[in-house]
Amino acid sequence: MTLPRLLAASFLILAPVAAIQGIKQTSWGPILAAPAARQTGDPKAKVTIVEYSDFQCPSCAHIRPTVEQFLTLYKGKVRLIYKYYPLTRVHKNAMPAAHAAECAARQNHFWPYHDRLFETQMSWAPLLDPATSFMAIAQGTHLDMPKFQSCYADPAPLAVVEQDAKEAADRAVSATPTFFVGDERLVGQVFATDGARTIERAIRQ
Amino acid sequence: MTPKNFLSLAPRLVVGLVLLYAGFLKAAGPAAEFAAALAAYHLFPSVLLSTLALAIPYVEMWVGLFVLAGLYTRYAASAAAALFCAFLLVLLSALLRGIDLASCGCFGAETLSPRWTVMMDTVLLSLSLWIRRQSKSSPPLSLDRTLN
Repeated sequence: MTLPRLLAASFLILAPVAAIQGIKQTSWGPILAAPAARQTGDPKAKVTIVEYSDFQCPSCAHIRPTVEQFLTLYKGKVRLIYKYYPLTRVHKNAMPAAHAAECAARQNHFWPYHDRLFETQMSWAPLLDPATSFMAIAQGTHLDMPKFQSCYADPAPLAVVEQDAKEAADRAVSATPTFFVGDERLVGQVFATDGARTIERAIRQ
Repeated sequence: MTPKNFLSLAPRLVVGLVLLYAGFLKAAGPAAEFAAALAAYHLFPSVLLSTLALAIPYVEMWVGLFVLAGLYTRYAASAAAALFCAFLLVLLSALLRGIDLASCGCFGAETLSPRWTVMMDTVLLSLSLWIRRQSKSSPPLSLDRTLN
C-alpha cells in the first residue's frame, strides 16, 4: 500500500463522515401544544410521549395495545399527546378520518372516537366515501350529532390537522407511527421493543 | 471516451452512485426511521437494530465511493456484490415469509416496493460482479490506474 493510495483511501472514508456531520439535522422543530382533549395520562407526568399517527395506517392500529399497556404500566409517570399525521399520498381516507377525529376532540370525545376508528379501520379504509362510517362511530361514541355533522361539513378543523402534519414534517417524521419519548425518536414497531426501556430511562433522568 | 473506457466506467458509475445515494439518504435522515424499516423484516435482534441502522448507511457510502473512484476497485466491487447479495437474501426471506413490506427501506423515506428492489439488486449484483471481473488490472479512469 503506497502513501498516495493510503491518503486517497483515508479521504474517501472521512469525506462522507464529515459531510453527514455537516448536514445532518440534529435538532428538530418544536412540538406545539396540543389541546387537552388529545392528551391522556397525568398532565403533570414527568415524561411526555408524542405520537404522530395516521388513522388509516395498519401499523398505527397494530401498536395500540402496546401504547395502552405502557400507559397503564407507567400510570402517573407518562402522558400521551396524539398528533395527526395523515399520509394522504397512500391513505386516501386518512385526512377525512383525522377531520372526524378532530370534530370528536371538539366535543371532548377524542379518545373513544380514536379507539373506534382504529378498531373499525378495516371496514372504512377501503370505502370511496367513509362519511357514513364516521357518522356511525360518532353515534356509537355518543357525540352530539348535529354538532358533529356541521363540524365534519366545515373545512376549518382541517387546519388543525394540517398544522400537526406540518409540525411532523418539520421534525423529519416520514413514517407512522412515530413516537417521541422526550427527545428520543422511536418509529413503528421499535416502540414496542424499545419503548419500555426508553420510557424508564426518561423517568430516571 | 473509448467504448472500452465507457464499459469500464458506466457500471462503476451506476453501482457507486446507487450505493452513495442510498447510504446518504439514510445517514442524513433520523437513524430511528431506518431502524424501524429493519425491524419490519423480523430478522434482526432488537438490540442490534440501532447499531445496524447507524452502520449500514456508512458502509454503503464507503463502498459506493471506492467503486466510483476506482480505488481498490476489485475489493470494493467484491464488497458491493456482498452487500447486494445480503440485501437480496434479506428481501427474499421477507417475501417468502409473507411479510407485507410497504417499502424496502433502502432509500430512507423514499418508497420502493420490495419486488422492484429485488430486480434492482439483481441488476446491481450482476454489475458489481462484472466490475470485479474487469478489475483484475487497474481499470481505466480510476484512482487505481492514476496512483499506480
